[in-house]
Amino acid sequence: MTLLAVFRLELRRLLVQPLAWVLLALGLAWLGWCFTRLLGDFLAGEIQRAAQPDGPGYVDLVAVPLLGQLAQIAFLVVPLLAMSTLAGERRNGTLPLLFAAGVPASRIVLGKYLALLPWLLAWLLLTLAMPLALAHATTPDWGKLAAATLGIALMLAALAALAVAASAFTSHPAIAAVVALLLGLALWTVNLGAQMAGIDGGAINWLAMSTHGQNLLRGLVSTADILWFVLLVAVCLAIATRRLAADKERG
Amino acid sequence: MTAALSAAPPVLQLDRVTRRRAGRVAVQDLNLELAPGQVLGLLGVNGAGKSTTLSMIAGALRPDAGAIRLNGEDFLERPELARRLVGWLPERAPVWPELSVTEHLDAHGRLRGLHGAALREARGAIIERLELQPLARRLAGILSQGQRQRLGLACALLHRPALLVLDEPANALDPVQVGALRELIREQAAAGTAVILSTHVLVEVTAVCDRVAILHEGRLHHDGPVSADDHAALERRFFGIAMQGATPAACAA
Repeated sequence: MTLLAVFRLELRRLLVQPLAWVLLALGLAWLGWCFTRLLGDFLAGEIQRAAQPDGPGYVDLVAVPLLGQLAQIAFLVVPLLAMSTLAGERRNGTLPLLFAAGVPASRIVLGKYLALLPWLLAWLLLTLAMPLALAHATTPDWGKLAAATLGIALMLAALAALAVAASAFTSHPAIAAVVALLLGLALWTVNLGAQMAGIDGGAINWLAMSTHGQNLLRGLVSTADILWFVLLVAVCLAIATRRLAADKERG
Repeated sequence: MTAALSAAPPVLQLDRVTRRRAGRVAVQDLNLELAPGQVLGLLGVNGAGKSTTLSMIAGALRPDAGAIRLNGEDFLERPELARRLVGWLPERAPVWPELSVTEHLDAHGRLRGLHGAALREARGAIIERLELQPLARRLAGILSQGQRQRLGLACALLHRPALLVLDEPANALDPVQVGALRELIREQAAAGTAVILSTHVLVEVTAVCDRVAILHEGRLHHDGPVSADDHAALERRFFGIAMQGATPAACAA
């Protein structure tokens, strides 16, 4: 029950914060513009594609690139959305109120993390609604679209967990946002240096978020990729929990 | 308050509780007991260990050593006991600035295990008792410090705790509100709630408390009864303890 209480409290805080709505509106405006541009390009090349029956379709040229755009801005938006989850509690001095209500650190972290997910899901669904609105006029590859959607959902969940973890280490939400942004970018590009040096290392490639995210965006669903995201979420939440439990010990 | 209530088994027992903070001993070997209906005044200079003690009793901070029992049950083994038994008003009454007064009460109620009709009833009762109706829809972030104190008090009382822990509750309250606060504390004690009141104002203690404990440098230096007529004696005792180790200039001042 305490998990639900923390979840509802955090969800309410998110809903009444202007920042969350501004981020949603700006994000959707940018994605709407991207959708219009992608759709224009798609329609412009329709005659050429008519000659290639097995060429890329609506999903490859509009829906997946749009989700790719969402993934790019998520690196900035998710840290901004999640920066106050724990850092804000520490800044307001309200964290002891949660401890005093007998809520374990794990439930505080999990409740706050779960409260971010409906917002992110709404963002994803509203973005997805743009290409889906025109899907009846084409013959979309539903499997590829589902895989890409799953990939983006997992990425958003992972970035949210990363931001919650960053938020657990400071009382300044802005610092938490910057740290989460840098960690997210580092995790996405960790294999870039190795690739440029001509090393196609298995371990470093496995570590990179891009390896797993791009597989899903291409429509390749593998258990290993899904587990990578689940593992990242679990590790981030465990780190945040440890930090919060240490707060209670330290006072 | 009454002899019958004071003879009841203790709501709170602290047994050799010790806690270090920022590299120094904040509270050492603290023993305290509180029976239902008793009002204990906790006195001490800044840094004496009052807020640390209250944070441990409220469950926000773990002691390094010793035992805390609530209604005879080990509080450290079962931290969730705080949820239903303890109401806590921390110093400066922290709030979630983006939530309204009503939303605060709802959030605190849910965290303390109240739901549905029980929560609505408790919220309505406490809003009426503390006269918070005009503030009910106002955001906590724009409340004055005195209004925040009243909101914090409402949150502490919402789930009708057996032990009420108040850390300088009269901060920023006007004289009328201080009078109302005293009345509220007496009312709670008469209903059987044990109250710990930490304050720097000695008159507060003699006005509402039936016992006083004086902390100095983390140790309990005095624990005994007090009444409204004891103000001069309490003042002598407090300054006698507080000035231990102080410079002659500080004593003269």
